[in-house]
Amino acid sequence: MVFITALPTIATMVGANRILRGVAVTNPVGDPQRERADELALRRRIVERALTMLASPVEANTVWEA
Amino acid sequence: MVKVVHYLNQFFAGRGAEEAAGSAPLRLEGAVGPGRGLGIDVAATLVCGDDYFGEHEEEALEQLLGWLEEDEPDVLVCGPAFGSGRYGYACGTIAREAARRGIPAVCGMHPENPGVMAAEGAAYTIPTEDRVTGMRDALPRMAALARRLAAGEEIGAPETEGYLPRGLRRNQVAGKTAAVRAVDLLLAKLRGVVNTETTADFDRVPPPDPVADLARATLALVTESGLVPAGNPDRLESNRAHSWFAYPLTGVDNLAPGAYESVHGGFDVTNANADPNRLVPLDVIRALEREGRIGRLHETLYTTTGNSTPVATAAKFGDDIAQRLRDAGVQAVILTGT
Repeated sequence: MVFITALPTIATMVGANRILRGVAVTNPVGDPQRERADELALRRRIVERALTMLASPVEANTVWEA
Repeated sequence: MVKVVHYLNQFFAGRGAEEAAGSAPLRLEGAVGPGRGLGIDVAATLVCGDDYFGEHEEEALEQLLGWLEEDEPDVLVCGPAFGSGRYGYACGTIAREAARRGIPAVCGMHPENPGVMAAEGAAYTIPTEDRVTGMRDALPRMAALARRLAAGEEIGAPETEGYLPRGLRRNQVAGKTAAVRAVDLLLAKLRGVVNTETTADFDRVPPPDPVADLARATLALVTESGLVPAGNPDRLESNRAHSWFAYPLTGVDNLAPGAYESVHGGFDVTNANADPNRLVPLDVIRALEREGRIGRLHETLYTTTGNSTPVATAAKFGDDIAQRLRDAGVQAVILTGT
């Protein structure tokens, strides 16, 4: 499991192992400030990073940037 | 004359609710909002938006600690944050950093608030109820401890003084051996009285092995963002959720605004409702499924509201959902949080 959250420190404290930093509390996998095409590209990058993390060995409580 | 600085979030400082959660730190003269109920003279109030603190912690701390350095208070009081996780985290963090710089600090929050751990034992936390109705009870207790810290008094053990254990151990000689104390605890437990000398942490699970072959794997989407079909047919709560829900994704290629919404009461849902894929990336996952990057998307979305959820409840939800996923042969999960 990968946990995508804008507050990775809390995720670490409660023991999540694969943590991916999300964009913001109100929109973890989106960004309303961007143009639509740009936002979609961003979401895609984040999800692809999540998939890479799923397929990678990690130490406990690892945080990756998107 | 004791000099006190008080830390509040945007809501309790009267700057606005969730829509102001992204506001940068500011310093106000004197007591603001709940600070007026502390019964001690507040020289200044520091304010920061909960989202701003969580997302720009370094900048927020630099600003706030800078003001603390200038103000040189005898004690810092933070909150009370009750059950609010982001606020509690901010309180615990700034209290810790202030304490490490020689300014004793007291926070107030519910014992299950993640902010309790953020203090890392450096600051004192007074336990409160998990909602705002606990304000009248919390303030005097926080003020009492703050006065004593400001006076440089020696503070006793958590059980006697009424603050939460800080994770520190002080050795002392017990009247009985550990063997005798263990049997006493067991006999008491059999009578229905449960006590413990040390408390357990959140349980730690070793990271699972990497997914071997994503292109053949079934991946599931789970969320605590309160995402539900529009109209919230099953009445998922905005906080203190009693249940999680499963919704079909068969034939659904993206989460259309108007067809889905978030009922989560812990953040401003405007951005999410304008495009629910910002909470659960269904549109992108479907594209990746079509391209063969993953084997397939599991046909069910699992959702709940992660807002003021007691730890035991959240753990149960996790167990239940994990069991369902395991039974369905799911190999990978993306969980989104807010």
